[in-house]
Amino acid sequence: MKRFKSLFVAVVAASLVGSNPAAAQPQPIKIGFIAELTGPWTFFGNACVQGLKMATDEINAAGGVLNRPLEFVISDSQTNPAQALAAARNLDVNEKVVAISGPTSSDVALALYGYAEQQKLPFLVPAAAFPLLTKPGTRYTFRLEPDAVGWGYALAKFVEQRKPGAKIAVIYSDAALMRAIVAGLKYQAPLSKLNIVSEIMFPAGSSDATVQAAQVKAANADFVIVSGAGAFDNIITNQLLDLGVAPNQIIHPFGTATQVFGWGPRSVGSFYGSFFDLGLDTVTPAGKAFIARYHAAHGRPAGYGENFCYVTAHVFKEALAKAGGVDREKLRQALSQVKMKEPTSDVPIEFDKNGARKEYIYFLQMQSVDSKKDYRSKQVFYTEWDPEVIPVYQLVK
Amino acid sequence: MSDATILVLVSMLITGVLLGLVFALVAAGVSIMYGCIWLPNASNGQVFVLAGLLAWSLTNSLGWSVLAASLAVLAAGGVMAWMLEFTLIRRLYEAPNRNIDYFVMTLGLTQIISGVFSVTYARYNDQYELPKTIEGVTFLGPMPITNTRLFVIAVAALAIAALFAGLRYHQMGRALRAVFQNRDAAALRGVDVKSVYRFAFILGTVVTMLGGLLYAMAYSFDLTLAWTMSVTAFAIMIVGGPGSIFGALVVGLVFGLTQAGVSVVASPTMATFAYLGAMLLILLIKPSGVFNR
Amino acid sequence: MTKAHSNILGGIVCCSLVALPFALQSNKFLAFILGMVLINMIWACGMNVLYGFVGLMPLMYAGIAGIAAYGMIHLTRAEGWSFWVAMPVASLCAAIVGVLLGLPSLRLKGFYFTLCSLVIQTAMTLVFSYFPKYTNGDTGINQISPPTLNGKELNGAMFEVVLVLFALAAVGSVAFIMSRPLGKRFIAVREDEVLAEAVGIDVVRTKVLAFFLVSLYAGVGGCLYAVYVGFVSPRAFDILSSLAIWLIVAFGGRGSIAGPIVGTLVLAPLPYLLQEVPWAKDIILGVLIVGVILWFPGGIYGSLFKGRGVRAAVRKGDADRMVDQRV
Repeated sequence: MKRFKSLFVAVVAASLVGSNPAAAQPQPIKIGFIAELTGPWTFFGNACVQGLKMATDEINAAGGVLNRPLEFVISDSQTNPAQALAAARNLDVNEKVVAISGPTSSDVALALYGYAEQQKLPFLVPAAAFPLLTKPGTRYTFRLEPDAVGWGYALAKFVEQRKPGAKIAVIYSDAALMRAIVAGLKYQAPLSKLNIVSEIMFPAGSSDATVQAAQVKAANADFVIVSGAGAFDNIITNQLLDLGVAPNQIIHPFGTATQVFGWGPRSVGSFYGSFFDLGLDTVTPAGKAFIARYHAAHGRPAGYGENFCYVTAHVFKEALAKAGGVDREKLRQALSQVKMKEPTSDVPIEFDKNGARKEYIYFLQMQSVDSKKDYRSKQVFYTEWDPEVIPVYQLVK
Repeated sequence: MSDATILVLVSMLITGVLLGLVFALVAAGVSIMYGCIWLPNASNGQVFVLAGLLAWSLTNSLGWSVLAASLAVLAAGGVMAWMLEFTLIRRLYEAPNRNIDYFVMTLGLTQIISGVFSVTYARYNDQYELPKTIEGVTFLGPMPITNTRLFVIAVAALAIAALFAGLRYHQMGRALRAVFQNRDAAALRGVDVKSVYRFAFILGTVVTMLGGLLYAMAYSFDLTLAWTMSVTAFAIMIVGGPGSIFGALVVGLVFGLTQAGVSVVASPTMATFAYLGAMLLILLIKPSGVFNR
Repeated sequence: MTKAHSNILGGIVCCSLVALPFALQSNKFLAFILGMVLINMIWACGMNVLYGFVGLMPLMYAGIAGIAAYGMIHLTRAEGWSFWVAMPVASLCAAIVGVLLGLPSLRLKGFYFTLCSLVIQTAMTLVFSYFPKYTNGDTGINQISPPTLNGKELNGAMFEVVLVLFALAAVGSVAFIMSRPLGKRFIAVREDEVLAEAVGIDVVRTKVLAFFLVSLYAGVGGCLYAVYVGFVSPRAFDILSSLAIWLIVAFGGRGSIAGPIVGTLVLAPLPYLLQEVPWAKDIILGVLIVGVILWFPGGIYGSLFKGRGVRAAVRKGDADRMVDQRV
């Protein structure tokens, strides 16, 4: 009994010493992070938060920012714009965050855009590709992911380089993202001397693409651009392959790790676009470490979505350090002047006057897929472009 | 006829039949529940996807074969349905306007299931796929068809035929139809209405899950499929007539064939409007459904 | 409770409701939740008139709200009208559409009407997505500016006060309508259409009027939603939204004035309050719904408060069930 008593006293004393205000931790710098933790985009929202957490842990282990820990206050938008706005208000007024970030879904991002511009709250969008997020006149919103119309433009350039004068078929789901990509592709195709021989669009809720695959096969294209929504992308791909379209005729405008595994060994030889991938030539040691750590923690290599969120934390770190303090106006200024490289791949990060990043994309070719959650890809193309090289804000409203 | 045209036509046929039979099966499951118990099951889409997800878990994590996993899932589904009936469904058998109450209750169930999904499967991946059920490809003219798709068509057709025959010739099936038509008269003739209800609920659930398994065998799927399937199943049931398996079959096939073939002649968007228009017409002209006696 | 007492109670409730936005100014999050609750209350009142009193379940309700919202946005942005003019005009247009969409009910009863309205709602969501000229498609319309009052933009507590006034008007107007002969005619149609026709009620005209009124509530709520949240997309006005509003009425107690209010107060804030527990939100909501339907089949208000007026409403609920059974 006496032993327990002295142990008890020791514990109480230790906790009193521990809570000594003189030894208190510095106040964390708070940034609001409104992610899709439930709802249709659960997967992307959660993957993003996981990437973000890894970056935050590293940054704080190395001393944080301005000698204070960096804290992202995570709130669930439920992939619903009204919920996202409520969360934004909460974070803005109650938590008094210095900035917000978080959405991977474009419509949530667009809803928050209005709030951010109105409330003069710096808003860094990690991974939503809709061009309107940086329409002319934007002051407080910055977008890290290149815009979707630009992906279509770059895709045309890739095909042009691969086979000048090629005939292409485009087969895609009717979602805002795909429409934007196709708008960019169709704009650039004639300029790149490409011939679109077949264009098929599927409404939401489609289940089967065999007939359309047959139509595409009949059109005899050199390349088939495949962009389906969710699992439908896999369905289109498999059905094209079933009908005898060769894997190296298939190009996906974008592909992250889970998609590559979904396409599977059958698709070895297919091409896909990416912004960060373990197959890139430019992955830095820090990037390799990130991929490996993510793989160990979550059972699959990190893809570009997780990378954008990882990099978001680093961008805030840089910008806050430059701003020198937790002030929204200074942070906005610092973000607009950011000139750094992604720690994971050395790709430059720089925003134009509307908050759009100088854009880039890689194209890779699948080399092998091991169902045990590993794959190999080879980089075959890289391009950079200025956001307004094509009239992006006219092509998509 | 050129090879290309044959390809398109044959693919239309196969796809239409495949989709149509799977849709018909799910619609049949919903129809049995609504026709017999007066239970419009808003959670049928979630149950449909659940079957596929469970099969995925068994094949992916435990390495079972697709067939073994499917049988296990169906058995588990039957047990789950029995438990659900025991705890929740049977409480409303006597309620006079139970169709509305059941609709609300199943909306609640939909929320619960989708909530469970959002912390489990939804976080793990955004798309799911089962391994090939049967390897190999058969050729119908110039058209290659995977053997898995042929298998799915065969099983779906057999299942619908079995349902139809069972309802017509088996004692329990006849009891079900008696209760469809007139519950009180059936009770007077000695039918144990409550056990018929229980049977209808379990049967309906298992049939829906079979539809989900077959879909998962033929296609990749993601969680957004749940609502789409729910609305499709209800639509087919409305047009075909609640309680009519034949109606579900015919309307399902029409649905499947139109979805498969429409992009050849018109924009798929127009097709969707066309279905909706057709459903409205049926509801206005013959609300009890095309095939209801 | 005597009439005088309930009048005083009503007055106190109204005054405190108007004061609430000011009290919540320090917490913008709760103020926003209050705003959403009020908009939902307007919607629930309308849904209750059709579902609770006339006996028809209109799943295209959110679609009608959407038509009014998009119409209002077009009028204010493209034509430069003031919100206060655009909103009534857009709501009236939506009401006309609502009447047209309600015409099938002249032939369909009970659950068949519900299914029909489900089809109509699905079609409306598609129309919203595929005619981007007015709706901007899936991307939605953002940065919808708040209405101006006396030259100043409506912001902060004043906005919520305006919403309170609208909500009170909605509740009051429903109570008023139901106390008039028109309200009695609604109930008569719900109980027994054939009998109603036999005693000289023009059933067709009554139903058309019901659809017109109900769509007005949907439209006004839709316009207010658009300017309050500042962002609309087809997903804001889809089948799930209709179901959520219907659930509020079924859950709170249909066929009574207070039922939808109770339903809104319980269900509307939940998704916002449960934002901190994303893993449990859907499950909690689902369990709540299942629990209520098992133990309070007529809705919370109907089952809990066995007041004299309410016992009559519950009895009306019974007659209600007889109508449905004839499907």
